[in-house]
Amino acid sequence: MRSSGLARIALVTFVALVLSGALLAVRFAAIEPPPPPPVAPPDDGIMAEQRRGQQDFDPREMLRRRRRGTLQQPAGPHEFYFTRAIYSSGWGWSRWATDYPKADRQFMTVVNRLIDIDGSPYENAVRLDDPRIRDFPFLYALEVGDISLSQSEIEGLRNYLLAGGFLVIDDFWGSWEWAAFEQQIRQVFPEHPIVEVPIEHPVFNSVYRIDEIMQVPAIGNFWGGRTWERDGYEAHVRGIFDDKGRLMVLINWNTDLGDAWEWAERPEYPLRFSTFAVEMGINFIVYAMSH
Amino acid sequence: MESLFELFFKYRPLIFEQGDFAFRAPWTGGLALAAAVAAGVVTWRSYAQVRGNSRPLDRVVLAAVRLTAFALLAFCLMRPVLVLSSVVPQQNFLGVLIDDSRSMRIADRDETPRLQFVQDQLATLEGDLRAALNERFALRFFSFSSETDRLDVVDELEFDGTRTHLGQALARAHDELSDVPLSGLVVVTDGADNAGGELEEALLPIQAAGVPIFSVGLGRESYERDIELGRVETPRRVLRGSSLVTDVVVTHRGYAGRPVTIQVEDEGRIVGSENVTLLRDGELQTVRLRFTAGEAGPRLFTFRVSPQQGEMVTQNNVRESLIAVDDRRDKVLYFEGEPRFEVKFLRRAVEDDENLQVAILQRTAENKFMRFNVDGPDDLAGGFPRTRAELFQYRGLILGSIEANHFTPDQLRMISDFVNHRGGGLLMLGSRRSFAEGGYAGTPVADVLPVVVGEQRGDGENAFFVEVAVETTRAGATHASTQIADTEELSAARWRELPPVTIVNPVTEVKPGATTLLTAADSDLVVLAFQRYGAGKSMAFPVQDSWTWQMHADIAVDDMTHETYWRRLLRWLIDGVPDQVVTELPQDRVQPGEPATILASVGDANFEELNNSLVMASVTHPNGEFTDLPMEWTAQRDGEYRAAFTPSTEGFYEVRVEALAGDELLGEDVTYLQVAPSDAEFHDSTLRSSLLQRLAEETGGRFYTAETASSLADEIQYVGGGVTVVEEHDLWDMPILLMLLATLVLGEWSFRRFRGLA
Repeated sequence: MRSSGLARIALVTFVALVLSGALLAVRFAAIEPPPPPPVAPPDDGIMAEQRRGQQDFDPREMLRRRRRGTLQQPAGPHEFYFTRAIYSSGWGWSRWATDYPKADRQFMTVVNRLIDIDGSPYENAVRLDDPRIRDFPFLYALEVGDISLSQSEIEGLRNYLLAGGFLVIDDFWGSWEWAAFEQQIRQVFPEHPIVEVPIEHPVFNSVYRIDEIMQVPAIGNFWGGRTWERDGYEAHVRGIFDDKGRLMVLINWNTDLGDAWEWAERPEYPLRFSTFAVEMGINFIVYAMSH
Repeated sequence: MESLFELFFKYRPLIFEQGDFAFRAPWTGGLALAAAVAAGVVTWRSYAQVRGNSRPLDRVVLAAVRLTAFALLAFCLMRPVLVLSSVVPQQNFLGVLIDDSRSMRIADRDETPRLQFVQDQLATLEGDLRAALNERFALRFFSFSSETDRLDVVDELEFDGTRTHLGQALARAHDELSDVPLSGLVVVTDGADNAGGELEEALLPIQAAGVPIFSVGLGRESYERDIELGRVETPRRVLRGSSLVTDVVVTHRGYAGRPVTIQVEDEGRIVGSENVTLLRDGELQTVRLRFTAGEAGPRLFTFRVSPQQGEMVTQNNVRESLIAVDDRRDKVLYFEGEPRFEVKFLRRAVEDDENLQVAILQRTAENKFMRFNVDGPDDLAGGFPRTRAELFQYRGLILGSIEANHFTPDQLRMISDFVNHRGGGLLMLGSRRSFAEGGYAGTPVADVLPVVVGEQRGDGENAFFVEVAVETTRAGATHASTQIADTEELSAARWRELPPVTIVNPVTEVKPGATTLLTAADSDLVVLAFQRYGAGKSMAFPVQDSWTWQMHADIAVDDMTHETYWRRLLRWLIDGVPDQVVTELPQDRVQPGEPATILASVGDANFEELNNSLVMASVTHPNGEFTDLPMEWTAQRDGEYRAAFTPSTEGFYEVRVEALAGDELLGEDVTYLQVAPSDAEFHDSTLRSSLLQRLAEETGGRFYTAETASSLADEIQYVGGGVTVVEEHDLWDMPILLMLLATLVLGEWSFRRFRGLA
C-alpha cells in the first residue's frame, strides 16, 4: 500500500511536470519574434535610429534589454506613442512585456488606419521611475497581478498621473490578482477609491460606441473553450478618478485586450473579440488625448 | 526795466506798441524846418571850405555831428506824436473771470496760496488792482470752475471747484457782455483748462469780436518738490479674474533717486504694487503695475504713491480708474483636426476659469467629430460653422492641426472676416497641418496671421522638426499674455526655466506691424507673435506640444505655469472683442449736474451695422431708480446710437442698453458711469503760462503774472476795445531827445578841443 501510494504520487508529480512543461512551451511560443513592421519608417534622424533598431532586431537582445528595464524609444515627431509601462513584478520575470511588442505594433497599425492620428507605429516602453515617462501622457500596463512597485516607481507613477498622465491596465484575472494589484495601486493613490466605470461614461463612446463590456479571452483560453481565467468570470472596467472627477487610471480586469490586438490577424481568433478590443483601445487613446 | 524805459522815453513801451507815429507841426514848424535845412546847408558849405590845420576827416566828423544836431532839432520842430485810442473812463465794461477751482488753494509761492492774490487785489474795493480797474471800467465779475457764474461779491468765492472749464467760462462771459461796450476780459487763473476740448471753439467768437483777453497767471510753472501720478491707462472692461498690466506715468521734481512704492487698490484692498527708483527731475517714468480684477461689477481702482516729505502737492499722488469687470463666460472655439494632447491639456488649463468657455470641435476621422463644452446637442453638430452668424457668436477662434483644405473658400474668408470685421481673436497653433504645412499660404487666413506663411519646407521623411527652449522678447517680457509669474523678472526667468517644446512649423518672419512675444532661445524661430488686424487681432503660436510645460518631469505636479499661460493668453486674445451691442461712454466719469453721453454700436448676427434698430438705454441710479432713455441713430456713423442724461447724485450708475430688430433681441450691454467730483484739479496743476500767453496773443491782449498785474489797468486803457477816444502823446519833449542833443553839442565841442581846433 505504502509503495503503491508513493508510486501514485510520483506518477502524478511526473504527469504534472510534463503538463507544466507543455504549458510553458505554449506560453513562450506566444512571444516568438514578431513579423516585420508593416509601415516603412521615415528617414529622419530619430526614426533612422529607430529603424536601425528594427533592422537589427534580435529577440535575445530584446529580452536582455527587457530584463534591464531600459527599453525605450526616444520622443520624436509623432504626436502619440503607445507607451508600455515597465514595472517591477514579484516573480522575477518581466510580466510587463507580455505580448510585447507584437501587440503594440499590430494595435498601432490598426489605430493609424482607423483614426486620423499621428501615431508612432512602434512599441515604446518606459520604466515607471524614469523621468522620461512624463514625455508620454498615455501609458499601458498589463499582467499586473503580481506587480510589486518600488518606492521610486510608486512616486514616479503618482506624479505622472497627477501631472496629467493616463494609465490603462489590462490582462489580469481573478480575485487573487485583483487583491494583489489593489494592494499595490493603493500605495500610489491611497486617497482615491477604485470605482466601477459606468457604460455611459464618455470613455466608452469617445470614438466607437460601446454598449457592453465584453470579456476578451487570451488566445490560449479561447482554444481551451473559455473566455475566463481563474475565477475571473466577468469582465470589469474600473477606474480611479482625481479630485476633480477626471479619470486617471482605467482598469480592465478579467479581460485581455492585449491578446486580442496581438492575435487579430489570426483567422482562428474571433473577429468580435479583436474588433471589440481595438474599439476599446481607440476609445481609450482618444479619450486620454482629449479629456 | 519798464520804468527805466519810461524815464528815457517818457511813456511806457505799451504806448509805443499801441500808438501810431505822426507829425503835428503847424505852418511855423515848416518854417523852422526850412531854417534848420538852410542852417545845415550853410554848415556843410562852411565845413567844406574851411582849411586851416584841420584834416579832412576832422571836417567830416564835425559836419556830421553838427548836421545830426540840426536834424534832431528839425525832428522836434516837426512835433512828433503817438496817436492811440484810449478807452473812455466809466464808459466801458470789463469782464473779470476768477478761477474758483481747488487748485487755487495750492500754496506754491512762499507758502502763500494762489487765491491770496484774488483776496488781496480783487476781493474788496480797497484792493489795488480792483481800485485801478474801477476807476476806468464798469466791472463784471464771473467765477468759473466746472461751471461759470456771475459773481456779485468776490469775497464769497470758496475755491472748491473740481474742474477748470476755461473755454466755457470765456464763452459765457463774452455772451453775457456782448451787448455792451466791452474793453476786454480779464482771466485770473492758474491756467489749466482740464475740461478738454472747447477752448479753441470758445476763442473764435471772441477773436471775431476783437475782444482782447488779459490773462493773469497765478502760481509756479514748476514745483520744487512734488511727485505726480500722470496718465493711467486701463481697459474700460475686462473679464473677472483677468490679470491686468497697466502703465502708470510718474513725474517728479526734487526726488531723483528716491525709492517709492506705487500701489493699486481695489476699493481699499491693495491688489498690486511696484517699487521704483525715481529718475531725473521732470522725466516721464512709466511704471508697469500688475494686478487682478477679482470682483465683478463696477470697480474703482486707485493708483497711489505715498506722499513724500516736503511735497508741495500731495493730492496728485493718486489716480482713479473705473473698470467694468464682467462676470460672464466668453466663448472660444477650438477646432482641432486630429487627436492631440494639446486638446486635453488646454482643456485642463482653462477648465477652472469660470469666465472662459472653450468649446472644442475635434476631428477624429474623416467627417467624424467630437465636441466638448458645447452649448447643446445641436451646437457644432455639422462640424465647423458654415455661416458667419454661427461663427461670429464666438469671441475667439483657435485653429489646431487642421489643414486649409478642410475649409471651403467661403469658410476661409469667414475666418478672415471673423478677425477683420467681427473683431474676434484668432490663434493658430503649431502642428503638422497648420501654417505652411497646413497649406495656408495664399489663403485669406494667411493674410490675417501675424507671421509670414511661406511654402512648406518639407514633408514626410523630410519634415521639419526641432526642439526649442523659449525666451521672451523685450515686448514679451511685459506683455499681459506672457506673464506667467508675479513680476516681470520672475516671469522672464520662468520662461527660461521651462523645458523645451517642439516645433514642426519653421516660422521665422513676422509681418510689418506684428509683435513677437516669444522666440526660440537659440534660433530665429518665432514662438509667439500677434498683430492687430482690422477690428480684431491674431496670434501665431507654432508650438505643437505646450503640454510639455505641464507634463515634463522638471515641472512640479502642482505647478500652475501651463494653466496661467493659457488662461492669460486666451483672455488677452478675446479682450475687447465686441458684442452685437456695445455701449460706450465718451466720459466714464462726470460730476453731478454734468451731462453724460451714452453711445451704442448695434449690429446684426453678421455684425453688419444696423441703423433702424429700436435701441433703449436703461439707467439705474445709485438710489435704485430707473431712467429709460430711447437712443437715436446719430446719422454720423452706421450703427451708432446716442442718448444723454444728467446725473444729479454721486455714485455708480448702471447703463444697460438693449437693441431690438423687430421682435428679435439683438443683444444687450452693460457699462457703468461714475458720478463724482473730478480729481483732475491737482494734476498738471502748475501754472500754464504758455496757454495763458497764447490766449492773450491770439486775442490782442497781454499776459501778466501776480507781480506784473499792477500795470493791468493802465494797459487795458490803451489795448482794450469799447468806447474809445483818440489821444495824441507828444514825443518832442522826451528826455532821450534832450540828452541826445546835449551829447551831440558837447561831443562837437570836445572833439574840437581834442584836435586843437577850437
